Amino acid sequence: MVNGKNLKYSEKPIRVLIAKPGIDGHDRGVYVLARAFRDAGMEVIYPGLLPTPESIVDAAIDEDVDVIALSLLNGAHMAVFTKVMKTLNKKKVKDIAVVGGGIIPDEDKPKLEKIGVTGNYGPGTPLSVIIEHVKMRAFAVRNEKWGRKKRAT
Amino acid sequence: MGKKEKSYLGTLERGIKKGERQSIARAITLAESDPASFSTIIKAVYDPKKYMHVVGVIGPPGCGKSSLIALLAPKLVENGHRVGIIAVDASSPFTGGSFLGNRIRMQDVLDNDKIFMRSMASRGAKGGLAMGVMNAALVLGSAGFDYVIVEPVGSGQADVDILDIASTIIVVLAPGLGDEVQAAKAGLMEIGDVFVVNKSDLPGAEKAERDLRYFVSTSPPNGERQKILSTSVRLKRGIEELLKATIVHETHVDKDAFKIRRLRLEASRIAKEIFSTKVDELAKEKEKWIADLSYTSIDPYSAAERIVYAVESRDR
Ligand SMILES: Nc1nc2c(ncn2[C@@H]2O[C@H](COP(=O)(O)OP(=O)(O)OP(=O)(O)O)[C@@H](O)[C@H]2O)c(=O)[nH]1
Ligand SMILES: [Mg+2]
Repeated sequence: MVNGKNLKYSEKPIRVLIAKPGIDGHDRGVYVLARAFRDAGMEVIYPGLLPTPESIVDAAIDEDVDVIALSLLNGAHMAVFTKVMKTLNKKKVKDIAVVGGGIIPDEDKPKLEKIGVTGNYGPGTPLSVIIEHVKMRAFAVRNEKWGRKKRAT
Repeated sequence: MGKKEKSYLGTLERGIKKGERQSIARAITLAESDPASFSTIIKAVYDPKKYMHVVGVIGPPGCGKSSLIALLAPKLVENGHRVGIIAVDASSPFTGGSFLGNRIRMQDVLDNDKIFMRSMASRGAKGGLAMGVMNAALVLGSAGFDYVIVEPVGSGQADVDILDIASTIIVVLAPGLGDEVQAAKAGLMEIGDVFVVNKSDLPGAEKAERDLRYFVSTSPPNGERQKILSTSVRLKRGIEELLKATIVHETHVDKDAFKIRRLRLEASRIAKEIFSTKVDELAKEKEKWIADLSYTSIDPYSAAERIVYAVESRDR
């Protein structure tokens, strides 16, 4: 009757929010990404422009996504990605992974990794690489969710 | 269930009762994916005395359902309601993936703690809904959302499953999206309570509304109940009328009768689910036995009866 009924929670489709935190006129790239995620079996939520870190985090919470994919090509990634991570921390959200993409200079990548934003792929990265990375992060947070479910205090 | 898991679910239950978004959101995920945990939660949070009014907004793809919901929800909030929105998009039958695009039209009004919106993929369910829709509505109802708006997958067909969960049905049509004769043929005219010709700013809208009046019965008993109006999201026209029609219809719904009906349908749906889970479990447990059943000379009905018998006697 229903696809995947009775599968364990961890086997359900990955839910990913594609968040575009600023106007940088690259809708098309975002659509390509959305389609690739969908074709990889994920449930993709694309809410259009999310102007503030709060709006990104709130959407991610309500949709209970596994991964937020932040995409920003206008060079403001350090400031914006950092704000998103701060907002997540402020709301005590620990089980949503954040991956980044944009035109990100190599020297910024370790800094972003350090605050928890991984991937940080530039234009031209093969979609398969991005998909594998999102899957990897998603499964990691799902394990954590299951773990927490078992370990909750 | 382990002690730790129980305490995690307890945290969610308290969160739902307090209306905390993180708990509501996580419970909806469980509603979609983990029936055992979810049943524990619902038993703890469901309040049989509460009534939650479910509104279905249906119509062909692209007619403006999401855009109208985005305008209607804040108006309902102004009228003292808390509004949950569940919008369904189809999952690919091949990859299981889905593009959930309804949020785009609503994002602007979601910065409101009296509105909660969730996108849902159909995950193979038929009828434009998803397995988790009613369960998600139960969570929202338990969290104090007294109005829940459901947007099924856009379809020109009358997917009657929505009637099981919603007591007010808004049918949205738009000029140029296939004519009203087609909508009438597809049965949309019979299941609607409020009919909206949206995009009234576009040419052809007046004719569409006129044609619609031929197909929607305006004589009693339906005439008192069914309402036709036109809206334009672009010009913000007709929204007040839509609000009024929705609220008027709500007051006409026999709430106790609908609650009983909904409970009965839900209970039998869940019972079927539980039974089918048991059949699957049995199949796993006794793989060889099931295989033997189908490969020997037995007919399918007799084989099925044996499976039912095996499940029943295992439960005893
Ligand atoms: N001109 C005009 N366009 C409208 C109006 N309402 C909605 N639209 C546009 O119609 C398109 C579809 O609107 P949605 O609200 O996404 O329609 P929907 O019925 O939810 O679509 P699906 O969920 O895909 O079935 C969008 O581009 C809207 O901007 C209206 O009143 N007038
Ligand atoms: Mg829609």
